[in-house]
This record gives sequence, C-alpha cells and structure tokens, in this order.
Amino acid sequence: MHTQPFAFERAFTAMFRRHQEDSPAIREAHCLAMQFPAVFLPIQPGDHFAGRMRYHHIGFSPQHHAGGFGYFCDEQAIRAEMETLTLSESDRAEIESMLMFWRTENTRAKVRAAFPPHLSAILPSDQWTSEPGIVFPLYRMAGAALNYKKLLLRGIPGLREDIQHGTGSPFYAALHMTLDTFCKSALALADQARTEADRQTDQAERTRFERIAASLTAITERAPQTFHEAIQMVYLFTMHATLQCNFGRMDTYLGDFLAADLTSGRLTRDEALDLLVSFWRMMPSFAENLERVKFDLRVIIGGRGRENIENADQFALLALDASDRVRAIVPQLSLRCYTGMNPALYQRALDLLGAGATFPILYNDDVNIPAVMHAFDVDAVTAARYIPFGCGEMVLEGVSFGTPNAIINLPKALEITLHNGVDPVSRQPMGLALGTLADFATYDDLFAAFSRQIAHFTDAAGEFQALAYRIAGEQAAFLYFSLLYENCIERGLGMFSGGVSHLGGTYETYGNITTADSLTAIRACVYDRRSIAPDTLIAALDSNFQGFDDERAQLLAAPKFGNDDDSADTTARRVHETICTLTRNQRDRTALDSFLVVAINNSAHILLGALTAASADGRKAGEPLTNGHTAANGQERSGITALLNSMVKLDPAIHAGATHNLKFARSMFTTHRPQLEALLKTYFECGGTQSMITVVNRDDLIRAIEHPEEYASLIVRVGGFSARFIDLPPETQREIVQRTLWE
Amino acid sequence: MSSGIVLNIQRFSLHDGDGIRTTVFLKGCGLRCVWCHNPEAMLLQPQMSVDGKMLGVEMTVDQVIAAVEKDRRYYENSGGGLTLSGGEPLFQFTFARDLLTEAKRRGLHICLDTAGDVPQSHFASILPLVDVFLYDIKAHTPEQHQRLTGVENKRILANLEFLYASGAAITLRCPLIPGINDTPDHLAWIASLARRYPNLRGIDIMPFHNMAAGKWRAIGKTWTLGDLPNASEADRARWLETLRACGYINIRL
Ligand code: SF4
Repeated sequence: MHTQPFAFERAFTAMFRRHQEDSPAIREAHCLAMQFPAVFLPIQPGDHFAGRMRYHHIGFSPQHHAGGFGYFCDEQAIRAEMETLTLSESDRAEIESMLMFWRTENTRAKVRAAFPPHLSAILPSDQWTSEPGIVFPLYRMAGAALNYKKLLLRGIPGLREDIQHGTGSPFYAALHMTLDTFCKSALALADQARTEADRQTDQAERTRFERIAASLTAITERAPQTFHEAIQMVYLFTMHATLQCNFGRMDTYLGDFLAADLTSGRLTRDEALDLLVSFWRMMPSFAENLERVKFDLRVIIGGRGRENIENADQFALLALDASDRVRAIVPQLSLRCYTGMNPALYQRALDLLGAGATFPILYNDDVNIPAVMHAFDVDAVTAARYIPFGCGEMVLEGVSFGTPNAIINLPKALEITLHNGVDPVSRQPMGLALGTLADFATYDDLFAAFSRQIAHFTDAAGEFQALAYRIAGEQAAFLYFSLLYENCIERGLGMFSGGVSHLGGTYETYGNITTADSLTAIRACVYDRRSIAPDTLIAALDSNFQGFDDERAQLLAAPKFGNDDDSADTTARRVHETICTLTRNQRDRTALDSFLVVAINNSAHILLGALTAASADGRKAGEPLTNGHTAANGQERSGITALLNSMVKLDPAIHAGATHNLKFARSMFTTHRPQLEALLKTYFECGGTQSMITVVNRDDLIRAIEHPEEYASLIVRVGGFSARFIDLPPETQREIVQRTLWE
Repeated sequence: MSSGIVLNIQRFSLHDGDGIRTTVFLKGCGLRCVWCHNPEAMLLQPQMSVDGKMLGVEMTVDQVIAAVEKDRRYYENSGGGLTLSGGEPLFQFTFARDLLTEAKRRGLHICLDTAGDVPQSHFASILPLVDVFLYDIKAHTPEQHQRLTGVENKRILANLEFLYASGAAITLRCPLIPGINDTPDHLAWIASLARRYPNLRGIDIMPFHNMAAGKWRAIGKTWTLGDLPNASEADRARWLETLRACGYINIRL
C-alpha cells in the first residue's frame, strides 16, 4: 500500500473527498475504515496485548498532537518529510494540492472560520504560549470518559443489537460500519498474532501470541469472558476511539473478570499481575509518535457507587501492585477514597507513596460527590460516576463531556484592569477600558471593574466552547464516543450533534492565587493603609519594581493565601467565587449544560507568567503564576495545616477541579506515619478534594539539577502529570525546588 | 486577661509530644545552655535581629488561643494538642498559667516543655492543667550543670521529684552533645533515673544538631559550639550501647 509517497494520506484524503457531500457520520465511518487497521504496528515481543499504533500525518482523531483535532493534517510534518524525499513533479503537485485542501477542511480551521467578528475581536490570538493575551481558545475534544462497562457487558454483538432498531438512518449505518472496522482491526491483528505464534520456538512466547490471537478473535464474536479478553477489548477500542486515554474506573469493569478468572483457576494472582504489569508497561508506547500519550493516561480505582465492591477492591489492590512494580509516569493511577473504604487499600496506597511513587493521586469522594452534584446539577448516583482527567478536571463517566477549550490568564486580566484596558507588555488595547487604578475610589470599585473585565472574557470563552462543539458536531459524529456515551444511540444523534446527555466544558484558569494575593496587597497598601499611592503602584509594576524596593517589600509583607490568614483567604475566596460563578453562568447563555472552572497546572502557569508583567503581590515580571489552588512559591510560611486550612476555604462545589500538590519528605511516611494519616484524614474531613503527593527531599532535587545523570529515575509531579525531573526545563526544575517541602 | 511575649507559634509540630501539635514558644529563660537551640528565646523582651527582624511580639491569651484553635481538628484526629515551650515557658509564669488554664478549659491536650528551674509553687499551681511534662535533663552533677547551663540542678531535680511524686505524666528529654555531656557516667545516670522513676512515660534522647547556628548569628552572638558537627550515627550507636549496658533499653532516639 505504501508504494507512493504519502500513500495513506492521499488515500485518506481521496476517501474524505469522495464522501464530502455525504452525511458527516457516513463520511467519518469511511475515513475510519481507511485509518484502521492501517495505523496499527506489529505486536512486540513480550507484549501481552495487541494495539500499538502510529498515526499518519492526516487522519481523524478527537485530539491529535499536531494541534489539530477531528480531521487533522500535520502540514509541518509532511513538509519536513518532503524535504527528505525525491518527488516527481506530479507527486509534488498532488501533495501540494492535498495540503491546500486540508488548510480549510481540517476541523480546527473550520472552527476558526466560524468565529463571528465580535468573538475574533475578543480572542484574536491562538498563540497562547508566545503572545500576550487574556483568554485563548484551545482546539481539541479532550477528556472522553467512555462507558467501558457497557462495552464489556454488551460486546460487539450486543452493541449491534442496540443499534439494530435504527437501520436505515445514516447515523446507525455509520455505527455499524464502525463496529465492522473494529472487528476488521481485531481480526487483522489476530492473524498477525497467529503468524507470529507459528514462528516462535520458545513455548512461552508462542502461548503468549496464541492467547492474543484467541482473545482478539473471541471479542469479535461475543462479549469478552476472561480478564485477558476484557483488557484486550478495552485497549483496542480505546485506540480506535481516542488518544486521550482515560481508562476510567477500571476496577468497576475489570474487577468481575479478575474475580472470575481467579475463582475458576484460569489465572493465579501472579499471572493476573503479570498481565496488568505488561499492560502498564505498554502504555507509554501505545502510540509511537504522540507525545501526549506518554504522560496523559489515567486509571481510576476505588470510590463510592461501585457494584461488587469486593471484586473491585481486589482489582484495585492488583492495580496498586502493578504501579509499584512499574513505577512509571503512566498510568496516572488515582484512588477515590471515602469513609468506610477498605483500609487495606488505603494503607497500600500510602505505602506506595511513602516508598517514593508519585501515585496514586488521592481523591476524596466524601467531598467530591456532593460538589459534583452541585457543580453539574446532577443527582447523587450520577455524581458518583465522576472521574478526573487531565490534572483533575471532573467529568461524568459515560454521561458528560467536558473538554477544556479555553484558558484565562487571571493576573493579566487584573493587569489590564489597572491600566485602563491596555496591556502594559505589548502596549496594545486588550480589554475593556474602565479606567486606571487611580480612578477606582474604593477597593470595591476596583474589584467590580476586575469582575467586569473577566466577565467580558469569560462570556467569550463560553461562546467559544459552545461554538467548538457545534462545529465539531457538524463535521463528524465522533462515532466511537457515540457508541459508549449514554443517549447518543437512544437519540440517534452523534456525540456533539445533540447526542451526549451532558454537554459540559471546562475553563482552565491560571494564576488564581497570584491574582488574589495581588488584590489583597493592593487593598492593604493602597486603600486601607494608603502607604502606596495608586500612581506609585502602577509605576512600580511598570518598572518591574526597579527603584521601588520599599514598595515591593510592603507588597510582599501583605498577607498571602496559604497561611490560614482570614484577610488573604477572604480575597482568594472572592476571586474564586467570582470567576467560578461567571463561568458557571454560561450554562444559561449558551447551549452548554455546564461550563466550569478548573484550576490546574501543567506548565501553562510558567508560560503565561513569562508574558505577564510584575504583579502587586510582589511577583516580578516573567516569573511563574501560581499553580492550581496552592500558595505562591515560598509564601506558605505557617505550616502545612495552615496551607490546607486555606485551601479548603475555596468552595469545590462551583468548579470542576483544582490541583493540590503536596510534597513530603520521606520521614513523614516512616517516622511520622500516624501523623501523616491524621493530617490527610483531617484535610479530607475539612473539605479537601484531592491530594497529589510527592515524596522527596530538597537536597535530592538540588543534587539532581547538578548531576542529572545520577537522577535518571527521579520522577516528580508537575500538576496532574508526573515527569522525569531531569527531562524538565531548567525553570520548571527551579520552580519545583522552590515549592515548599513539608518536613 | 494577661498578655505575654511570644517568640513564635509553630503549627504542625511533630517533635514536641504526641500527634500533630501547635508549639507556642514563649520568650525568657533563666538558663544559658551552651548548646541552646533557641538562643533568641533567652531574653524576655522582644529584640531586633541583626537583619532588622523583630523577635518576639506581645500577645494576649485570647490571641494565642485563637491561633492554637485553628488546628483543633488535626489534634483531635492525631491525639495532638498544644505544647508550651520556650525559652522556659514558666519564666512568664502568670501568662503561662492563664494560657494553660484557658487551653484546659477548652479541652486541649497540653504538653509543657520545661527546663524545670522555677519555684516549686509554679509547678504545684499548673500541675492539674498539664497532661504531659517534657522535662529536660542536661547534666548530673551540680558543677557540671552550672558549667554547661549557668545554673545548678538542685532545684530542677527537686521539682522532678515533686512532679513524679504527684503522679504527673513525664517524658524526660535529654540533649546529648558529643564531647560535651555524652560521657559514660552521664548516660549511666540517665539510666539510673529510669530505674528510680519507673512510671516515666519515656526518655527521649535529643541528639545534637547544629541547625541553631543561624539563630545565634541572627542575634549577633558567636556560638561556642558553632563548628560542632551534628551527632553522627556512630555517636548514636555508642549512646544506645552504653544505655543498654546500664540496663535501660526503652529509650527513644
Ligand atoms: S533551657 Fe532551653 S531555652 Fe533556656 S538556655 Fe537552655 S536550651 Fe536555651
């Protein structure tokens, strides 16, 4: 097939064009049939499952690494590869015309082209990493939370039955084709496995390939029956559906398979562990050319609302053992905790963290379920289906979609509010002109202007979020999502074409605490004590505090969030409630069922900080913004209980998640284990939603910067992700060292 | 309501009694230990550090209690509470007593970290308020005690006898400074205290660390022990061996 250059890309393009006038669902089904199994790679020696893949430069994916989504075309990669090839004139012309075609036909371009003029005016730039701005759109359909339980219980024949009644409509016809495509992939990989099996001289290897072949064949004919078949099915389906691999509540859908195999003697626990370890080990290389997959894969265990709790817990313990053995960046194992949970599970999780693993992330159901009920306006049973994706954004498994499609730089919004709507970095008008600091007679006037400013941008973000879904729904039915999201089949509508029950969205907010601390400092120094005149403050900020050492010292001395100080925390709560409410109100203004703030971090707070001038909390120009709901670096001076007390003051029932990074020295888990347990228990009882724990000591990190070669395996957490410390850019490394370490 | 000079309020203290605690450090101390780890607590009055920071602030009982109350739920889940330390916490006796009375009234678990060199009447008056005494033992002969801390240890030992006889819960805390007071006869004497007071809650050995060097610098003083390294693993092993040989094995180090 790959005889001519870019043969796949050209064939895919031809297929797309052939069906351009068809219903989007049919067009997508044909394109997927072209893409699969073509993207799959040979099964590697040692693998227990089939499904590794390599994306081509053109294709269909809800989220693709080259910045596109839906129908994507990685023009840059194609051009780079063209440089290395000797191409005939006609090939070159054909490829050029293909690239031109996709420039306007890729889904991202369709979304950009659909901006009404007023939206383009508020959101002029897509370059959030390099251009200053307040709100930026993100192009993707990320964070799918498929109903894997349904997949495994119904199997392919069951799913076919479910869509039988709609024969005749293009949507159902397309779903049938999609199942055909899945089976075609499974059978092709089964053939491959059989051929490999015949070639093996080693009996164990032969058995391994035979089992893969048998499972792949079986899942095309009936619902899976064994642990191996179930994992194989989940894995292969995921690779067809999405590359944002969130495997959801794995214990709820694999627990029974595990228990059945153990009871029947089909597997011993050690064999089951070997299978899971193999699956874990394959994860970073699921998709060869997609960087994201290497760190963004999730497995959730534990929590309320599980049937067969005993089986589920048995799987959860196996998953902890697997993560203990593998100690890798993925999967991001997350444990949902609740009062009355199996203590063995909790203790095992703490053992793992104490031994230096960065997983599991702990989530607190006792707080999160009521919070999700309120934030998403759903009942307790539905809320119990919450799972975190990304850095901790909540989404409802099989029910809601909540991709983050916009980000806001909050300190920048305050910055232009102090400067009559003008960005002091680029000197360009950027937002509403409401006056300068000197024009706001009271602190409340200032806050009101700031609120209006962020309302202006947040309305645009909500509008964009709805627009992105609408265009995505016009372009494709997202068929694999539609199969495993409730209501799409029942309604006969594609995922984003009216199918999904709960069309949510999330809004990544950065620098929330930088903003709050800045407002607290302005209130103290400019309004209450009047020790800094408004114009002096502006001059100090504009000059990055050069010549304003005394003013900066005053601003730094003002109360800061994270110290259980009421004046700082009250401002933080007010900022939190303002941005969360403005965001949540978008459900009344748009087609969205929910639109919710997430306060997370990856490295965006560093990149956005680089484009943000000095702030009134004393932060210098270009320094990182705060991350998640943690205090500004080095500002939490009153001990960890004070920090936790501050954090729980921010209501989790009005947003969709916030990152709470906690870094502990190992002694907390050894000498002081009872105190550590009491600390976490109290934090959760007082309203803590989650904790991402890393156990290291500062000397470790400083030494790791100087001698990276000795610290190759040191893994640290950056927000919801873990990364090898030595792979991080120097500024991120420095930032992690600066974050307070609790001893 | 009385007020006093507070050096520092440290939350999430794990080393001054059971559970998660808040340690309130009061200013003022009658001793002058050569290894003092809180030299900025020796003087009663607030003082300016060399880099211009005010050390010590006047607070009322209510203010201190409000700060301590903030972590009440952490105490309840961990068996922790308030630890009053210093300096010598009983140096500002009226303030300390009022603070302890109010803390007791609120049902907080209370530890008192004391060097013991105050009038016995002080101990008699706070005895019902304190759940656990953390009682420092520094040197065994009066002369040695005088040389290392500036005071004799007669009153200290008499107060220990008094507290023990009154049925107080006591943990002995013994700082051991390599080359200064970690002599075999001192260790033997510590072991003998264990035999003499069999109902002690425990004996904590506090190995020397030189983290206080910065504090001595901050108050503009030279620390005679400034160059002494932290107690080593070998020191600890030797101490344990000696203590065990003396027949006392239930020692925390
Ligand atoms: S008793 Fe404590 S505070 Fe007083 S001098 Fe000795 S070590 Fe320092």
